[in-house]
Amino acid sequence: MMRKSGIATLCSMRRAASAALGMSAWLISAVAWAQKSFDEMPYRIDGGFNSPMTTISGLTEWSRDINHVYLITTVIVTGIFFAVAIPLIYTLYRFRAKEGDDTPPSQVHGNVVLEFLWTVIPVVLLIFIAVPTWKYIFKHEGTPVRKDAVKVHVIGHQWWWEFQYPDYGIKTAFELHLPENTPVELTITSADVSHAFWIPKFGGKTSAINGNINRLAFTTPVAAQPEVTGGDYYQGQCAELCGSSHALMRHVGVVHTKEGFERWVKAHNAPPKVETASQREGEQNFAKCVACHVISGTPSADIPGDKIGPNLSNFGSRSHLAAGTRKNTDENLAIWLRNPAELKPGALMPNLGLTDQEIASLSAYLRQSTYKTY
Amino acid sequence: MSAHAHPKTGIWSWITTVDHKRIGIMYAVSALAFLVIAGIDALLMRTQLAMPNNGIISAETYNGLVTMHGTSMIFLFIMPLSAGFFNYFTPLMIGAPDVAFPRLNALSFWIFLFGGLLLNSSYLIGQMPNVGWFAYANLTLKQYSPTISVDFWVWGIQILGLASLIAAINFFTTILNMRAPGMTLLKMPIFIWTTLVTQVLLILALPVITVACVMLTFDRAFGTGFFDPGAGGYVLMWEHLFWVFGHPEVYILILPAMGIVSEILATFSRKPLFGYTVMVYSSCAIGFLGFAVWAHHMFTVGMGPWANALFSAATMLIAIPTGVKIFNWISTLWGGKIRFTTAAMYAISFVAMFTFGGLSGIMHSSPAIDTQHHDTYFVVAHFHYVLYGGAVMALFGGIYYWFPKVTGKLMNETLGKIQFWLYMVGFNLTFFPMHFLGLQGMPRRIYTYAPDQGWNLWNVVCTMGAYLTALGALLFAINVIWSLWKGEVAGNDPWDARTLEWTLPSPPLEHNFDVIPTVTHLDEWWHRKYSEDGKRKQLPPAPKVDVSKIHLPNPSYWPIVLAFGILLLGTGFFLPSFGNMVAIGTSVTGFLIVLGSTFAWSFEKP
Repeated sequence: MMRKSGIATLCSMRRAASAALGMSAWLISAVAWAQKSFDEMPYRIDGGFNSPMTTISGLTEWSRDINHVYLITTVIVTGIFFAVAIPLIYTLYRFRAKEGDDTPPSQVHGNVVLEFLWTVIPVVLLIFIAVPTWKYIFKHEGTPVRKDAVKVHVIGHQWWWEFQYPDYGIKTAFELHLPENTPVELTITSADVSHAFWIPKFGGKTSAINGNINRLAFTTPVAAQPEVTGGDYYQGQCAELCGSSHALMRHVGVVHTKEGFERWVKAHNAPPKVETASQREGEQNFAKCVACHVISGTPSADIPGDKIGPNLSNFGSRSHLAAGTRKNTDENLAIWLRNPAELKPGALMPNLGLTDQEIASLSAYLRQSTYKTY
Repeated sequence: MSAHAHPKTGIWSWITTVDHKRIGIMYAVSALAFLVIAGIDALLMRTQLAMPNNGIISAETYNGLVTMHGTSMIFLFIMPLSAGFFNYFTPLMIGAPDVAFPRLNALSFWIFLFGGLLLNSSYLIGQMPNVGWFAYANLTLKQYSPTISVDFWVWGIQILGLASLIAAINFFTTILNMRAPGMTLLKMPIFIWTTLVTQVLLILALPVITVACVMLTFDRAFGTGFFDPGAGGYVLMWEHLFWVFGHPEVYILILPAMGIVSEILATFSRKPLFGYTVMVYSSCAIGFLGFAVWAHHMFTVGMGPWANALFSAATMLIAIPTGVKIFNWISTLWGGKIRFTTAAMYAISFVAMFTFGGLSGIMHSSPAIDTQHHDTYFVVAHFHYVLYGGAVMALFGGIYYWFPKVTGKLMNETLGKIQFWLYMVGFNLTFFPMHFLGLQGMPRRIYTYAPDQGWNLWNVVCTMGAYLTALGALLFAINVIWSLWKGEVAGNDPWDARTLEWTLPSPPLEHNFDVIPTVTHLDEWWHRKYSEDGKRKQLPPAPKVDVSKIHLPNPSYWPIVLAFGILLLGTGFFLPSFGNMVAIGTSVTGFLIVLGSTFAWSFEKP
């Protein structure tokens, strides 16, 4: 086997350089084309990723802008991947050592043109990622507050989310109810350790940090099923390790039609309708809960001071209990009341040692008498 | 003391050794032992996540496994295994008889070992740290983590950091001062360059985490409130301090791996590293930029648009020197005569897997994308591609490459190749689907998930991949034992390699070089073997030297005593639950041991 001469190697280097140049020219024009066509594309790409918390089928302008940057970047990095993988595989195949050939190959030390090329080409490609990124940043971060925005204070607790509506006097937990197609402003903080608020179909995460307030402004999506009176449910979950039950700290965004939202607001603080004997008994037993919980329109609302447990007004209308970990049914509420730590390790709510009778009555009171339709 | 005059075998000779080669072996063996534990952590987690609502592992335990897996893989596996390579090969590759401070070298190993044992003793009493390897405030405060689990983490990191800092100063000095005559900076092997840059990063980054851990210790032990907003403290300060250390740490993990891969690819394509000088500059650029990007871990904390835009730009810049390296590696192979040994296959897989992880890294450099991907499995996939597919694969390649030099035996290539493919398939089966899970919104660090999330299938696949990897690890252990026992004798230079360590017998004698070599070329050993036109040269006969005249440092037991004092000093800080007198007594005893052994050490003969 003949050893390849230095000249031949140099020639193949030059060929490689022109191939690299050609490939990058193609890549750059492909990116430019992709960027233009993404601007005109409908944004929803489910592609088999239509799960409840999918990050790539955004419904708000905010999350669509994220997807826009994501798609451009994906095209670019996929192109780079092939620009690395194909030469690598070809090199491995072509320059494998032949059996019995013991002479060393030509000792090439480098090539200035090539080094220059693969320094400059990435810079150009990165500009295609950087510009849409910066456009996104300055569009969505630090946008001025709109006067007509619905304001909600979002407060992370170990391990549940509290939502306060200062303009409506509403305090609630787990479900963030919002009107459709409306600018909203969330002020996000934490009552204890760091959490992160996240509803993937609305957009990205925002840290909830004790002692800090983060502002999040976006416009809610259009109601997908205006005929469904309960609203559309969009799932979210805490995205910062916050202690033992971090995995069980879930929440939902509920998007109503504007009328539906008004009905929800009106119904939320209405006092419970206590009708049956069991519900009346539950109302009595609720006295054991008032140190930590409030139900609007009942004497528990008059006890001063901040309560450490979630506000239970409207509890009967919530889809889930224990921060979204179980469906809101009598059985699950009974499991929770019997021993909260069984459903949620480390839960701050103690085991109150309730009898089955007390649990049944509390369930009747909490679930049925606070059930509201809107 | 002259060579060969002190006991060569027995436990005592290892405990008192100051020989950089023995210390390197001890680093590597301890690192692999800790890998077993950290790997079992990972298998337990994957077993729990194989099914939704699985009840094998409790929430608390899972958080402990997450924390210990991350902390151990970084501080007890990748860093010390790299340190093992630094120790064994830095003096051999630069033509030095030992490191600059041999006893300090022993000290840093013992401190590392005690720190690792301290951290791992948390398993034994069921108090695993459970706040994540990043230990974000204010979850770490006494109020939210009342048990001593967090103290294990704080003091483990503190003690391990001290070990790395001492070692870094040692290697920095060694590389700058002890190179053989003629070895200018740009004639150093590339592995020595990446080692040098790594030491600079360690020296600059470790003090930051040390200070942060001191503040956290004060918060926990004395109620100072640095990170307690209720006391006027600032939670985000921890995140900044942690990542100012934590991001350079990523390059501390990857740079030695890049150096190893560069050496292996050059050797097995039988060509010099393509663009050596550019590789040196890009290593320095990566090291420099590594300090300017920490806040890309914090795009969701609300730093404001300007901070996000600038940190995003800085992060994108890092992709440039990294990309340059990747194309230089491919060009090193181009025109070569590539021999597909196990070591070469690991090094090549590093290039592929690291590229893949780097590309998802570019995605995360954009805060727009990062706010969605942050803290999801997409990020888990990303950093396992760079740290496992990247750093760990390179380190395994390094083991296959240098095993014959260290032990005198070749590793079994057939077993090696089976292990390589088990690792490759297992690794990609575990971590590639995690991209999908991340896109489907599965958050990290959750011990359970609901069955209706669309995450079931990929989680099963990930778990199967993890078990395949475990099989690969088992095969590696078998290969090491088999090769030590029955492996083929390697000889001085089994790979026809390029650097000075291959001029020595395998294993090298305690004094390394009979005569300190004089260096005239980059890839000195290659140029001694081959003329410019590729003809083999006749090597001059080795000069006869009376090696008994070579001065070697005396063995000493003071390093291990001093390290033990440091362990006691730290442990005292989390014993207040056993009474203040016990705590203060332990710390004071530790302090006195440190003082006493430092004093005794300084009166020892050189």
